[in-house]
Amino acid sequence: MKHERNDPMAIHPAARMYAEECRTGRLSRREFLTRATALGLAAPTAYGLLGIAAPQARAETPVQGGTIRMQMDIKAQRDPRTWDWSELANVCRGWLEYLVHYERDGSLTPVLLESWEANEDATEYTLRIRQGVTWNNGDAFTAEHVRHNIERWADASVEGNSMASRLGVLSEDGQLRADAVEVVDDHTLRLHLSSPDIAIIVSMADYPAAVVHPSFTGDDPVGNPIGTGPYRPVSHDTGIGAVIERNPDHTWWNEGNGAWIDRIEFVDLGTDPSAWVAAAEGGEIEITYQTTGDFVDIFESIGMPSSEAITASTLAVRFNQTQPPYDNVNVRRALQMAVDNETVLELGYDDRGEVAENHHVCPIHPEYAEMEPPEFDPARAAEMIAEEGLADHEFELISIDDAWQAATCDNVAAQIRAAGINIQRTILPGATFWNDWLNYPFSSTEWNMRPLGVQVLNLAYRSGVAWNEAGYSNPEFDALLDQANGIADADERREVMLEIQRLMREDGVLIQPYWRSLYRNMRPEIRGAEMHPTFEVRYQQYWKA
Amino acid sequence: MLLFLARRVGVMLVTALCLTFVVFFLTNLPAKLETLAKTQAGSRMSDAEVASWLDRNGYNQPMLMRYGEWLGVVPGWTREEADGTVRGRCVERMGAEGYGARCGLAQGYWGQSTRFRAPVSEVIGTRLGATGWLMLWVLIVMVPMALIVGVLAGMREGSRTDRSLSTFAIASTATPEYVSGVLFIALLASSTVGLSPLLTSWGVIDGPVLFQGNARSALEGITFWNFTLPVLTIALYGMGYIARITRASMTEVMTQQYIRTARLKGVSFGNIVLKHALRNALIAPFTVIMLQIPWLLNGVVIVEVLFSYPGFGWTLYEAAVNNDIELLLAASVVAVIVVLLTQLISDVGYVFLNPRIRVT
Repeated sequence: MKHERNDPMAIHPAARMYAEECRTGRLSRREFLTRATALGLAAPTAYGLLGIAAPQARAETPVQGGTIRMQMDIKAQRDPRTWDWSELANVCRGWLEYLVHYERDGSLTPVLLESWEANEDATEYTLRIRQGVTWNNGDAFTAEHVRHNIERWADASVEGNSMASRLGVLSEDGQLRADAVEVVDDHTLRLHLSSPDIAIIVSMADYPAAVVHPSFTGDDPVGNPIGTGPYRPVSHDTGIGAVIERNPDHTWWNEGNGAWIDRIEFVDLGTDPSAWVAAAEGGEIEITYQTTGDFVDIFESIGMPSSEAITASTLAVRFNQTQPPYDNVNVRRALQMAVDNETVLELGYDDRGEVAENHHVCPIHPEYAEMEPPEFDPARAAEMIAEEGLADHEFELISIDDAWQAATCDNVAAQIRAAGINIQRTILPGATFWNDWLNYPFSSTEWNMRPLGVQVLNLAYRSGVAWNEAGYSNPEFDALLDQANGIADADERREVMLEIQRLMREDGVLIQPYWRSLYRNMRPEIRGAEMHPTFEVRYQQYWKA
Repeated sequence: MLLFLARRVGVMLVTALCLTFVVFFLTNLPAKLETLAKTQAGSRMSDAEVASWLDRNGYNQPMLMRYGEWLGVVPGWTREEADGTVRGRCVERMGAEGYGARCGLAQGYWGQSTRFRAPVSEVIGTRLGATGWLMLWVLIVMVPMALIVGVLAGMREGSRTDRSLSTFAIASTATPEYVSGVLFIALLASSTVGLSPLLTSWGVIDGPVLFQGNARSALEGITFWNFTLPVLTIALYGMGYIARITRASMTEVMTQQYIRTARLKGVSFGNIVLKHALRNALIAPFTVIMLQIPWLLNGVVIVEVLFSYPGFGWTLYEAAVNNDIELLLAASVVAVIVVLLTQLISDVGYVFLNPRIRVT
């Protein structure tokens, strides 16, 4: 069995379906391209499905040289495994590389690994290390180095080591289990998991999983920049900026497929976006790290088009099923039915995202199964509420006072009200909201993205787990989830996923209106720097036309 | 005179001691220490990890003890790790000799900045240098402008010049930096609104904006283009006040007997102002200018953050936001020194300008 979605020739079945819809006019070409490329198709392949050639502009060859100046927070560096901000990782990406990369479209590509395989029940992984990789101090990169890094990641005694919790299946008493990693030969490694875990490879693409040289100790990956990548740091001043240049003394294993620019200069301009605008106007920065809200339009108006990344971050407007009247599935389904998700996206979130389908699995998740959109029927919703004897009941929707979250819930409540159901809105300040977020009968919670569809389901909807704010407890769901957790191949997992998604919807677990998009703005001549759903800045792929 | 100086230095030390203790107390409240631990070692740490981090890094002793450590009157904390290595406040700085030694202000050690991961003395030194340049240009712009406006307004009290210049002075001093700074950026440093798009379309300027709304590049080289707006923002605020004082002083001098005598003797108005009135009228503004410098430090915090110019004010802001204890303490010591030093200079200078006053 092969690793997930790693075969560039495979075309997602949903993409073929979209292409059919596009040909028959049910889907716009633009919408088709967005969806098909989100499913992992290269743009030319997507155009190919429509039977037309991709526009020529796509086929530019990168230009070598130049400097890019990017706005990004520069925080004091520390041991990579304890990184808690993507910015810390982004500075070092030029020399500290990863075993695998998580791509914009939700797929994984091997970097320092050549390939990997899992056994049938995802309890044993064989990792093949890329040949011909050297560290910039001349040492050859071997399987032993990877084992050393996994051991570092598994060490839970280091405060703030966030990798340790992700490698639970490889560790014991807060350390790497003695028999967990087997070095087969110089370029092969076998992982023995204590229980099935399909997220283990994905976890190695997460930003704290930078691969460091065995000699690395301490807290400063910039002061001691031994790595496998093509760049090296020139300067690093917390709060001010960092300069990184191409390393002339090192032959990169991927020479010719990146490392186009000579230099990248990160400029830390603080947290106020208006200062970024002022700096962009004066030509001090050419690209932002992340732009939010109205500033996306402002940057566009000064000649910096935006790049959008669809993410699986979302707002879950969930019912707590342990509390009446939400213990009644008909009530939950009726309220779902009263809300049109597209309207919520448009009015509550300025249309900056993709419509979601009330089951918390995103189209960018590799195992996402295509489903019909949720039913929207306000008249029927009011009828159902009346049938349950709640025609005079006043529902209450609670949210935090954060602008977009409050606006989204306002719109959900407004639609429920428009259907003829009584509902009131309560907005709580952040300081009090989080004290009791698991127990509100009907409220909303922000969820950040996880690369795999099963990950959030495991965290939030399995019976009895700590973050199960929906109070969802369905043995059938748990059993299906267990089954999905043991299938490493995304295409096979999709079949189980379809049942899971259907179950989530039938049980009326939540109203999930949209998937949020992230934005970044840049000068038109900058290429390869599109926004990444997990904020990665892989500047070895950036270049300037 | 020497006694006077000694007393002033004594006051400075006591003030600095009181102020640093207050800052120390506020930055060492338990909630603040938790913030520090989380910014230092990972924002998603559990409470137990926070406690262990604080313990391992010497934050668990009584507050007075640690204040003593910072002052250098109490030996720095030490701690033996499980693997036998010794860590401690002074060990990290002086190696093995640091065991049981004192290292603090008294020994010339300002501590380590947790935000910038560098010695505090180094951080404060470079940042003060950057602010020095800013202040220099502010003074170069502000003082002559203020004096000219004040003298022109004060030489003929109640005239049209006086009224219009006074209005300008009051307006400028009544506009806080965070208002004028934003206005300047919108008017002069935006390619979509204000003057710049007009000037570009007329072909007066080459670039998209007249001035840069961000002074970060001034770190590498100060130019008219990147430094004008921050300098102007601070200078304008201070200018109005000094101009008002100069005007008041000038009008008072202009009503003196000897000025009338000079006029009656037929001395030209220009000569009266320049030769007879000016010297006497400048005594009051001199003190005010010196007293204005500590006030400008206020503005420096706002302006440096607004224009992202990493100087002393910006450092103070960063230290406060990140609860960088030792950096904040050093910054407050610097602030005390600046305030009292400028007062000292103004007192001594006053004696030289006005022979009737004596320091005893």
